[in-house]
Amino acid sequence: MKHDIQQLIGNTLRRGVTIAFVIALSGGLFYLAQHGREPLPDYTRFASDEADTHTHYTTLRGILLGLLALNSASWMQAGVVALILTPILRVLLTFVDFAAKRDWLYMGITATVLVVILANSLGGK
Amino acid sequence: MTILTFTLILLLGAYCAGLLGSLTGLGGGVVVIPLLTLCFGVDFHYAVGAALVASIATSSGSGAAYVKEGITNIRLGMLLEIATTIGAVCGAMVAVWLNNSFIAVLYGGVLVLTAVSQQRRRSEHKGVAGSEMARRLKLFGTYPLKDGTREAYELTNVGGGFGVMLLAGVLSGILGIGSGVLKVLAMDGLMKVPFRVSTTTSNFMMGVTACASAVVYIQRGNIVPGIAFPVLVGVLLGALTGARLLKVLDVSLLRKIFVFAILAVAANMIYMGLTGGFEHS
Repeated sequence: MKHDIQQLIGNTLRRGVTIAFVIALSGGLFYLAQHGREPLPDYTRFASDEADTHTHYTTLRGILLGLLALNSASWMQAGVVALILTPILRVLLTFVDFAAKRDWLYMGITATVLVVILANSLGGK
Repeated sequence: MTILTFTLILLLGAYCAGLLGSLTGLGGGVVVIPLLTLCFGVDFHYAVGAALVASIATSSGSGAAYVKEGITNIRLGMLLEIATTIGAVCGAMVAVWLNNSFIAVLYGGVLVLTAVSQQRRRSEHKGVAGSEMARRLKLFGTYPLKDGTREAYELTNVGGGFGVMLLAGVLSGILGIGSGVLKVLAMDGLMKVPFRVSTTTSNFMMGVTACASAVVYIQRGNIVPGIAFPVLVGVLLGALTGARLLKVLDVSLLRKIFVFAILAVAANMIYMGLTGGFEHS
């Protein structure tokens, strides 16, 4: 059992990273084909209203809609989202592992970490 | 400069970042931030977002190999993660109020600390008498030796380690780098965790900690797809190459060269920060 879950965690990391890589790369190639010859956007100054004007890569809903609309920025950002989900999935699997071992203390500790990340994703900005 | 040129240079830089990251155990952010800010003049608030992406990529990319070997102390990592994720949340909240100069000087300071800690002797901490707290928290473990047997270890000072991890989390939330320095110092210096265990556990924690702040940064618009894409692709490829090279290469010379490079960048960052070189006119 212990061996199985370790294998599963290892595979999850590998697959998560591969999926993130493929999505980001395909979005990136598409982006370069469309905009590669254009001058670089102004990255020298971060605008605080950035998020509101670019919902196609700052909100989950916007990214998903952008995916359907074949927006290259949304595709690249979906790769980033997949990358972020990989370690979170790993923590989730670790929780399952502790549950299988009936390790209540560490189920609580792992749940706390998950709650902090989740609360941050919903409330944070 | 066209988008294509920028992307290709950043891709190459990120590849080197991933390579160095997996060879030296430092997160990819250590290379990505100076490349973006010093070479391209990119705002720190974007650079930090890119560094978070690099940190998660390094952690997950090299993590898969570590899980198999069974060196990582998952319980220890998870416990300390409470501290680092809460710290990261606070750091990400504070970051909005900080200007480029302050972030640059802070980053330079962390780099100096990183360079110094690379010189530390790596100890396996044999014969440590563990504390009662650590025993109750079931933090003692074993790690595999070259001959296939497993070495048991104990550890101590859980409270102190937890405190330093809070700080490591705050730094990670502000700078986007894994602040592996503090993590290794806390586990190696205070808690007396064997070196191989603290390195792999720190790598595991780096990814989760970076996620806690990345979910904020992405919603705030600090993670821009045009920068994140070459960083993600480059760092992952670099980390993959690094993991293979690590088996055949002696990295001690590389580490020494890297230390000087880090110090040079740190000096540059602190100087630019103090003289207002990163502020907009």
